[in-house]
Amino acid sequence: MSGLQNKDFEKLAVPLLDSLYNFACWLSGDADEARDLVQESVVKALKGFGSFQPRTNFRAWIFRILRNTFLTSKTGLERRNTIQEDEEGFEDSVVSQETPELALIRQADHDLVQAAIGKLSASFQEVLLLADIEEMKYQEVAETLSIPIGTVMSRLARARKQVRNHIVQAASAKKTVGAKS
Amino acid sequence: MNCEWRERADLYVDNELEPAAQQEVAQHLLTCGECAAVVMEQQEFKKTVRMAGKRFSAPPELYAAVRKEIHPRESVSPWWKWGLAAACVALFAALTFSLYTRPRENNPILAQLVDEHVSMLASEHPVDVISSDKHTVKPWYQGKLAFTFDPPELDKNSPFTLIGGNLVYAQGTPGAELVYQVRQHKISIFIFKSSNAKDQSSGPDRALSFTMKSWTEGGLHYYLVTDATKEDADHLAALFQDANRS
Repeated sequence: MSGLQNKDFEKLAVPLLDSLYNFACWLSGDADEARDLVQESVVKALKGFGSFQPRTNFRAWIFRILRNTFLTSKTGLERRNTIQEDEEGFEDSVVSQETPELALIRQADHDLVQAAIGKLSASFQEVLLLADIEEMKYQEVAETLSIPIGTVMSRLARARKQVRNHIVQAASAKKTVGAKS
Repeated sequence: MNCEWRERADLYVDNELEPAAQQEVAQHLLTCGECAAVVMEQQEFKKTVRMAGKRFSAPPELYAAVRKEIHPRESVSPWWKWGLAAACVALFAALTFSLYTRPRENNPILAQLVDEHVSMLASEHPVDVISSDKHTVKPWYQGKLAFTFDPPELDKNSPFTLIGGNLVYAQGTPGAELVYQVRQHKISIFIFKSSNAKDQSSGPDRALSFTMKSWTEGGLHYYLVTDATKEDADHLAALFQDANRS
């Protein structure tokens, strides 16, 4: 690869390092593993950059490489086995969310929300991370995860619902304990 | 919830509609309290998740390792520069953090509003209503806030441009965040219903990294947060004070 291509790659990849690392930390749950995953993904992306189509979405492309790298890692293989189970009994419609207790969500601290995201299954967590934290469009999430947009929308709705429920339940419990003491 | 617009309201929150449809839903929200409540709740939820989810930052050694992978043929010597740069960044971050966290102890609402301003700067969708026209932005808050306010008219030569607005919450109270651009800087003006009838104001404070200013006018409390100059902050604050003087 020419020096010019390397510079182009650097311009595109380096601004995404924080996001890639954050995503890798959430997926793997381990800082060292996340660092290795990001580095390995960057090496793979750099090697493949010659064939990268300039008009396609670089962010979706490099996130997909990272996610695939994770799925073939030891931790990734373990988590992958849980994906099938999560899909079973999936019936919720995209628009079936109940309005939760807004005040509890507003007051939720970061630890509580992070715990709720951490409790999600792999397939829901990755959609929520890409859509709500990386602020990707549905199409971009679909490209990253190689799934249809409809699946992105339904998983996102389900993931948000689970996080909401967790926050509302945990915050209500906290409130009750606080009131008793 | 029975409103037939409910599904589109979901897509509106995710900014997944075409611009015309996005605008159409925004109009509907002005007249449908049910959908407005759902949209408000979802926007708040997304913001909460985004802020909590951005939990980890790549360490300097990862930046160095990645750059080494990208430019393997460069001699080793330039890398100390990256190390130095990373150390400077870390030092700057630590200093900023220590200064930035200081108001938390003294004034929790200011700390919270700085959080909101930083979150707005970091977001790809910094405002919920996008318009440089105050006659579009102001009505957007109808039905969302129990008060109204008057953004200043900006003439052609004004250095300020209105970018749009957000609905924000501080200490459990809803308020407006109007975002302005001045050269390369953004200024947030937060407006809340004042709980104290007595006028309160404080001048710009540069010791907190961001310039902050607050004042009370006509039963509303205004907070300004920006990384622009003190002169810019004073200028925009004066425009607001003139526009809302009763």
